[in-house]
Amino acid sequence: MSAHQHAEGLLSHEPEKATAEGRNKILGFWLFLGAETVLFGTLFSAFVALRHNVGDGPTASELFELPTVFAATMILLFSSLMSVFAVQAMHRHQVKAMIGWLVATVVLGLGFLGLEIYEFNTYVSEGHKMNTSAFSSSFYTLVGFHGAHVAFGVLWITLLILQILKKGLTVVTAPKIYVSAIYWHFIDVVWVFIFTVVYLMGKVAG
Amino acid sequence: MSDNHSSVSEGQSRHHKVEGPRKHIVAFVLSLVLTLIAFAAVSAGEINTTFTYIILVGMAMMQVFVQLAFWMHMKDRGHAFPIIGISFGVIIVFTMVIMASYWVWW
Repeated sequence: MSAHQHAEGLLSHEPEKATAEGRNKILGFWLFLGAETVLFGTLFSAFVALRHNVGDGPTASELFELPTVFAATMILLFSSLMSVFAVQAMHRHQVKAMIGWLVATVVLGLGFLGLEIYEFNTYVSEGHKMNTSAFSSSFYTLVGFHGAHVAFGVLWITLLILQILKKGLTVVTAPKIYVSAIYWHFIDVVWVFIFTVVYLMGKVAG
Repeated sequence: MSDNHSSVSEGQSRHHKVEGPRKHIVAFVLSLVLTLIAFAAVSAGEINTTFTYIILVGMAMMQVFVQLAFWMHMKDRGHAFPIIGISFGVIIVFTMVIMASYWVWW
């Protein structure tokens, strides 16, 4: 794709694709995302099938607060944009700017997690526990699994920042940054379906 | 090693142009607008339920397409195998969700 005849020691425009190992890492990560899609698909289909079985617990439209969900959506969307800017800074070899964008990504990810913990805490106090109904179990499994992915992403990107500080941007570290950005966007894509199928459709169904 | 190089790549493009942020900001604004339409359709609360569902699914599909194409670089060259990989996942998911909603839900 890009011309690779650059001087010794200089990074190419897209350092994540400079080596066969880097390119294989990206392809392998896409296959992993295919499997992740199936994983979330099973959780979504369980939720869709069980969402009206509320038992004695509250229904979706009684429970969900759209302003909170909207705030969480915005935080994650902005976080995804920060991650895009990090990869663009990497392509310009601006390591300091890249680290700045990655820190912003992580901070927004933590904000999302905080909001989700607050939200789940409120639901539990309103009598919507993991074992309340088939609806509550499938809800916490699906949304909680997504939250766990966000938590893992925050940890992963934090460790990558530390590694970049120690080793700098090289053809070994660049694919890791690129792949973590793809992961972070994937988490945002899953959230698009969660706020659509779980929250907004739950609110509409009444 | 990488710091002293940044001035070179910024000063002039060598073999290829460095991609600007513009199309990513366009993708962001598109995602924002699609999200706002979805939330507004539900908040308005006066629209027919089936029609709201259609709006919601339509907005979600478009936003996912925008994000996959631009932010996850799937529209870039050399993404034939990633497209095959993720498509398998998506096909299985659609089968599962349609089964769940058609056989169990209704």
